Amino acid sequence: MNRPISRRTVLRGLGAALALPSLEAMRAAQGAASAPPLRMAFLFVPNGVNVEHWFPRRTGFAFDLPQTLQPLARFQDDLLVISGLTHNGGRPNGDGPGDHARCASVFLTGAQPRKTSGAGIRVGVSVDQIAAKHKGSRTPLPSLELGCEPGRSSGNCDSGYSCAYSSSISWATPSTPLGKEVNPRLVFERLFSQGTGSSERRQRRGLQAEFQKSILDFVAEDARRLGRRLGPADRRKLDEYLEGVRTVEQRIAKLEERTVEEQGPAALAKPPGIPSDYGEHLRLMADMMVTAFQSDLTRIATFMFANAGSNRSYRMVGVPEGHHSLSHHGNNSAKLAKIAQINRFHVQQFAYLLERLRAIPEEDGTLLDHCMIVYGSGIHDGNRHNNENLPIILAGRANGTIDTGRHLRVPRETPMTNLFLSMLDRFGVSIDWMGDSTGRLSGLTL
Amino acid sequence: MTSPRRPSAWRISLTAGWLVAATLLCGFSASSSTFADGPAESPGRRLLERFCGDCHFGEGSEGGLDFEKMMASPKVDPFIGPWEKSYNMVRAALMPPASEDQPTPRQRREIAAWIDARLRQLDCTVKRPGRVTIRRLNRTEYNRTIADLVGIDFHPADDFPADDVGYGFDNIGDVLTLPPMLMEKYLRAAEEIVRRTMEDPQARRRIVFCRPGPELSPEECLKRILRRFATRAYRRPVRDDELQRLVELVQRARKGGATPKDALSVALQAVLVSPHFLFRVERDPPADDPDGIRPLNDYEIASRLSYFLWSTMPDERLFELASQGKLRDRDTLKKEARRMLADPRAEALVQNFASQWLTLGRLERVERDPERFPAFSDQLRRDMLEETLALFRYVMRDDRSILEFLTADYTFVNERLARHYGIEGVRGDVFRKVALPPQRRGVVTHASILTVTSNPTRTSPVSRGKWLMETILGTPPPPPPGDAAPLAEGKGAELLGSLRERLEQHRADPECATCHKQMDVLGFGLENFDAIGSWRAKDGRFPIDASGELPGGIRFSGPSELMMVLAEARRDDFCRGFTRKMLTYALGRGVVPEDRCTLERIRVELERSGYRFSRLVEAIVTSDPFLYRAAK
Repeated sequence: MNRPISRRTVLRGLGAALALPSLEAMRAAQGAASAPPLRMAFLFVPNGVNVEHWFPRRTGFAFDLPQTLQPLARFQDDLLVISGLTHNGGRPNGDGPGDHARCASVFLTGAQPRKTSGAGIRVGVSVDQIAAKHKGSRTPLPSLELGCEPGRSSGNCDSGYSCAYSSSISWATPSTPLGKEVNPRLVFERLFSQGTGSSERRQRRGLQAEFQKSILDFVAEDARRLGRRLGPADRRKLDEYLEGVRTVEQRIAKLEERTVEEQGPAALAKPPGIPSDYGEHLRLMADMMVTAFQSDLTRIATFMFANAGSNRSYRMVGVPEGHHSLSHHGNNSAKLAKIAQINRFHVQQFAYLLERLRAIPEEDGTLLDHCMIVYGSGIHDGNRHNNENLPIILAGRANGTIDTGRHLRVPRETPMTNLFLSMLDRFGVSIDWMGDSTGRLSGLTL
Repeated sequence: MTSPRRPSAWRISLTAGWLVAATLLCGFSASSSTFADGPAESPGRRLLERFCGDCHFGEGSEGGLDFEKMMASPKVDPFIGPWEKSYNMVRAALMPPASEDQPTPRQRREIAAWIDARLRQLDCTVKRPGRVTIRRLNRTEYNRTIADLVGIDFHPADDFPADDVGYGFDNIGDVLTLPPMLMEKYLRAAEEIVRRTMEDPQARRRIVFCRPGPELSPEECLKRILRRFATRAYRRPVRDDELQRLVELVQRARKGGATPKDALSVALQAVLVSPHFLFRVERDPPADDPDGIRPLNDYEIASRLSYFLWSTMPDERLFELASQGKLRDRDTLKKEARRMLADPRAEALVQNFASQWLTLGRLERVERDPERFPAFSDQLRRDMLEETLALFRYVMRDDRSILEFLTADYTFVNERLARHYGIEGVRGDVFRKVALPPQRRGVVTHASILTVTSNPTRTSPVSRGKWLMETILGTPPPPPPGDAAPLAEGKGAELLGSLRERLEQHRADPECATCHKQMDVLGFGLENFDAIGSWRAKDGRFPIDASGELPGGIRFSGPSELMMVLAEARRDDFCRGFTRKMLTYALGRGVVPEDRCTLERIRVELERSGYRFSRLVEAIVTSDPFLYRAAK
């Protein structure tokens, strides 16, 4: 019989380089018997794809991997490529242009964003935040929002839509987009702020946590008193404020439950800042996500590879043009080839993330086995700006509840939100509907 | 989405019915805001009915725009927005659509004049200040406020998530949300700010300015410290009950084992995380107020002034004037505005307002193909930004005409940028004022703007034209139809001709032509500048043709002439557009049709003053929206 080991033993036995608090050991120490916790992540890429090189021809097992998906060859058994999903809320439906802003804000909400440059922004609550609201309190961070491009700091973003729509896929309430962290150093600090150290420092930290609690009590009272004297729109701002207070309180409480040794990765180096190389930036953010999952600091994450409509150029793969202007390819074959190059570059970074997750053993398998990770775009083809048959991949077996290794073709116009409901079911969150959902997605298992 | 066209016989009968109703209404009305347009057969109105009535008359009108209903209303107020939009569409020849009968230019002017007359019936003696959602400090404001509050400038908000942008600016109350992650950052920042303040002897003395002694009990001293700190942080006198709670917070921390210093730190941190610090709180008028409008109090005005012109908290003098109740006096306000513009802190208006007005923030992230544009470097990128900010700074500091943004025959360059422009005799990194070569006039011909309106590998006359219409003329083109075909490009596309020829083929579609005609003519006027703003005579193998004709038959040749023509023929549009932008920034909300009277008053004021920068600022800070708050 294996003896449960404390993390201290791991530290001594393997040296500092592997000194991450493995969930497995922690659970063994706690004598856990249930299945390992399930993690969910949602990865967004902008501007649609070159569809020719994305969708496999054959469905079912042993599907073919088109050029763009080739970097995923090693993970073919861990994937479910899904074709046919639709985001009706990304369509104009009378609101005219603005597909990019719409496609990001609809991506995880399944709701039609209200067209406004500022006043009264509104879409829906995103799937990750529904999960966080129900289950987020189990971890110090209810959820983690990552990206590589900050929200645009000037100008209109897309045809009369506020920039919040193009730069946010996570929405805590229909009117609260969640800012995303783009600096790996800041992600690190956020994840491991209660880091280990000398006992004196730890004691000081404990005191500071007490102080923080009294500060939070104080300001929450401020907000409640103030709220009584304000109009409805202003009160909404204070509700956001109070929600923030609650989240931080919860986080402090969660961290206190853990022993100090479990809290910090003694050896994961703190990144100095944002790497100039985009690929490195993406991979570093992926590292952060993996670490957060591995240490069970959160079980829910979103990651925008770039903002909707991003016009970044991809010289590292021989594409100097801007991605967005290219995506209006007009069926020009040279442009289409370049788009495929960009798509493939993104997929390579996705493969890196899967590689990292699969390299971490956890109980009966690997961390990847205990994940469900959606990767995709809110637009099918950047030229047509259409929102049906979206390019979507679901990776990870979700503790054996998804039969991967297949290409699943669902009926046309199946809402993407049906997939989300099925994922939420697995996550232990059973709700009747979200966005434009019409039911659960059948076919995730055989 | 087109609704079935009604037979015109029916339309005529509807019109006749309306005439009866209108006559009745006119007969009974005396108020000046009542619709009383003289003879019902006024030619402008008849033309409106003739050319617009098919789609916009009666129930089920296209796009919900129903002139029948709008004309029947005795008051203009409920329809200011639709009337303004109609006016703009008719005047800009964007309506009726190309597929319908078109009025002659003279008929068009008559329709526009009739709508304008209708709009002028709006009663401008009524205050319509509009509603501003309470504003969270954005990152810039947070940094600067902390620096002024504690005297240590270390930019704690640089680690906060980016603020979202609405109406082109990052200080819009509705859009400044507060996600939970930000609350974590506020807590951590407050801890760090107070720690640094307590460790810096000078900064600490400013905050801990008394010591308990025989004359001063510890509790009284603590109260004094907290009263001063919270009053400055909340930008208004702290109330006694608020102060009492802060004192109790310190006492509880002491009981919990904190040192006196730690206990005080807890209270200071609480102030920095309090909504009274993080938000610029303005209370709504009481629910039973008959107008639903209240004048802002002196402290609220002090904050509006300081965040508008300085992006930070009020200084001692503004606090002083507020405590004396003097800030509601218009002359004092104007005087303070001038004082503040002359203060070094007004640099905030350059860095925050100017850069967002001209969308210069995009410069930071534009990418250029190094093979096509080897001259483009991070240094040049920074120089470009500095040039445009320098011009704005000069117009502001020297209180020049805002028209010089379009027409300045001078600019500010260092050696690198001078070389980029082909200007001789400039050495070193320092920027200086120089005369521009004849091809360039004003900010639109600055490399910064020519770059942010281009693509990584080529210019985009359409983006440039669209940018000009939006940013300079304040008349953004309507969005393209959803199925607009993009421009053919890449290898092979060149066979179709120059970029201009290809665009002309592209806009053969009448639905696209109306707007493109206007965007493209502006954009092509700037084609002599490549995607990083260097002068060129040819694009590839095609010679550049930078001539064009603006609506109204005004011809121009080349960028300088274009700018001079715009400053003349479109002067009012530019001034109105610029005013709207500055008003948006000053108020932290989008400009709404109800602001019409305010905008018109400012326009008159601006014209009277020879378009001087300071007069615009004075007019804004003495306007109703700046000094009043409405519940709705």
